[in-house]
Amino acid sequence: MARGAGCPAPLALPRGVSVILRELPWFLRGVLVTLEVLSGVMATGIILGLVLSVIEVYGPRPVSLPATVIERALRGVPPIVLLLLVFYLPWDLPPLAVAIVALGLCSGAYQSQIFRSAIRSVPRGQLEAGLSLGMTQVQTVLHVVLPQALRRAIGPWSNEFASQIKDTSLAYIVGVVEILRQARYVIAYTFGHSLLVYGFCALIYFALTRAGNHFIYRLEERLHIPGFETRRLAGERRW
Amino acid sequence: MVSFWELARDALPALLGGAGVTVELTAICIAAGFVLGWALALGRIYGGRFVYAVCTGYVEFVRGTPLLVQLFFLYYGLPDVGVVFPPLLAAGIAMGLNTAAYQAEYFRGAIRSIPRGQVEAAYALGMSRFQAFRHIVFPQAMRIVIPAWSNELIYMLKYSSLAFVVGVPELMGRANLIAARNFRYFELYLIVAGIYIVLVWSLAGMVSILDRYIRVPGLGEPR
Amino acid sequence: MALTRKDVGRWILMKRIGTIVVLWVVLGMGAAWGAGKDVYIVGLDAAFPPFTWVERGEYKGFDVEVMRKIAELEGFRVEFRDLPWATIITALAQGKIDIIASGLSITCERDAVIDYSEPYWEVDQAILVRSDSDYNAITAFYGTTVGAQAGTTGYQWLEDNLVKKGVDVVLRAYETYDMAVSDLESGRIAAVLCDTDTAQGFVNAGRKVRIAGIVKTGEQYAYAVREGDPYGLLPKINEGLRKLYELGIWAELMAKYFPGRAVVPVPLVRTLDCR
Repeated sequence: MARGAGCPAPLALPRGVSVILRELPWFLRGVLVTLEVLSGVMATGIILGLVLSVIEVYGPRPVSLPATVIERALRGVPPIVLLLLVFYLPWDLPPLAVAIVALGLCSGAYQSQIFRSAIRSVPRGQLEAGLSLGMTQVQTVLHVVLPQALRRAIGPWSNEFASQIKDTSLAYIVGVVEILRQARYVIAYTFGHSLLVYGFCALIYFALTRAGNHFIYRLEERLHIPGFETRRLAGERRW
Repeated sequence: MVSFWELARDALPALLGGAGVTVELTAICIAAGFVLGWALALGRIYGGRFVYAVCTGYVEFVRGTPLLVQLFFLYYGLPDVGVVFPPLLAAGIAMGLNTAAYQAEYFRGAIRSIPRGQVEAAYALGMSRFQAFRHIVFPQAMRIVIPAWSNELIYMLKYSSLAFVVGVPELMGRANLIAARNFRYFELYLIVAGIYIVLVWSLAGMVSILDRYIRVPGLGEPR
Repeated sequence: MALTRKDVGRWILMKRIGTIVVLWVVLGMGAAWGAGKDVYIVGLDAAFPPFTWVERGEYKGFDVEVMRKIAELEGFRVEFRDLPWATIITALAQGKIDIIASGLSITCERDAVIDYSEPYWEVDQAILVRSDSDYNAITAFYGTTVGAQAGTTGYQWLEDNLVKKGVDVVLRAYETYDMAVSDLESGRIAAVLCDTDTAQGFVNAGRKVRIAGIVKTGEQYAYAVREGDPYGLLPKINEGLRKLYELGIWAELMAKYFPGRAVVPVPLVRTLDCR
């Protein structure tokens, strides 16, 4: 069977390490795909989350009730089940789309919870003031309530962002060639070094999460409003 | 072709058996995570420089990597150094180690949110560090941590579904076995999703009832 | 709290960025969707050496090269997609892929839902055990745990001839043969039942396994398209196989992937009659 030709390393590195170094470009390609999935998921999640949260807070009962049920249902299903469910839908979706749709639905349901409590935390007086100034309800929500709500949502939202970076690893199961799947391919055609490759894979995710957290931290600082601290208890996980 | 309801009726016993494994797996790993989590939290608060570094390093690393990767590492990676776990054990260990890191953070946050004045008062009254912890810090911390902890419980219930990739016969694993024979993946996964929703909603319901009984008004709200 | 122009401006900016992101995502998905029918999607399980695998981001293997060459000769384009093996028949039936080229054995159950080309290969099932164990073809299945890839003829054989007949053996399904062999090496299972050439491939690659025996099933590999062959690909594939052999390309590929093997004319005569 044809294999990639390995040249003897000038340094006496353990073979596993030299394999990882040689396959580094492929891991990096996996990182790019992970970022692709991540941006798709977060974008879908924000849109879905905003729509659901606005409907749930401001919509009339016949509309807000189904929205709540949908949101609760989406939050009750493990992401990997949703991924496989979308994967087996009868129409042809490429793996990347499957991952973005499925993980986006999960994230959107959770983000709607974040936005909902953020919207509710904006004092009712703001809404009333907007209405009394002659703005329609839509205008008030759009220009007065939401900007404030979004600022308050940044804390919990950044937790969700960090969580999603890790959940992209689940996309492996539907064939997206992100970091984990790339690692599996490498193990398959280099026959072994599982420990080192999975360990390296974990390191990449760790670096990515750190970088993501750092980016979010800078964003938070830029958009910070003194006095509006709503950080949850120590970066808690969402269900 | 067999109808959906017949398929569901035939598959249900096996799936419910799998759901039982799911619940067991979740319970065991949460319990293990509770013990280890407290150890880590205490290590970070009361430990010396070395203990703090080790505990913090562990917590940060485990929280920064995906559970799926950790599972693969434990199941497929460790055999390289001769450590071979059967599927259920590997899943339990991976999940337990994972939830321990998150629980450690919740416990630590809860402890730190207790006003230091109370601890100082305890020392002034002659309590030792251990007594102060046991009678003053711990009870309050446990009450404060309940929302986050119950969240973690539900999260683990959902993410136990990952165990099927290493062959644990929990809910997803059973569904896969059935689907491999009759190719009815979509319908089976729909049923699985339904079962998970039932499990998660019941658990969430129990948690909110518990919360109403144990809640101390004013405790643990952000200051 | 006063709403300044800066805040409103920022909100509008965020909305604009959001619209761009959404458009980008939708366009990206749309581009993948509308790939059009000048390219046919070939589904495979990319962990089945020497027929299919992925190396350095490229699809490689005997089936991959044969498919590429046939497409070249017959004038159509192909794109490969990696799918879990257990889902590949369903994917073909649902139209998610157009061709299967992945060491696919001919069975009557499959023939009922998909259409096969003429066969091009023959295999049996090999019993893989750990090289340092002393299992033979009989003891490997006696009170042990064995494994195979889900959805394969090997898995089906184990289920039909051992599990259903009440033999004391535990059968585990794996996503890929690579994972099954990993578990075999680490001692979690006693044996893996796998197509002969792939099993030999694992041995040749230096995995700590050996072949303890062969189960003669006389299976044949063929390529497959959706039932009814909506794109008229089967005649092209069959013709392509013929041409590959006549032009000597088949012999070249055999020398590359199966050095030392005798070259048999393709397409072969089909042995399994499902009527």
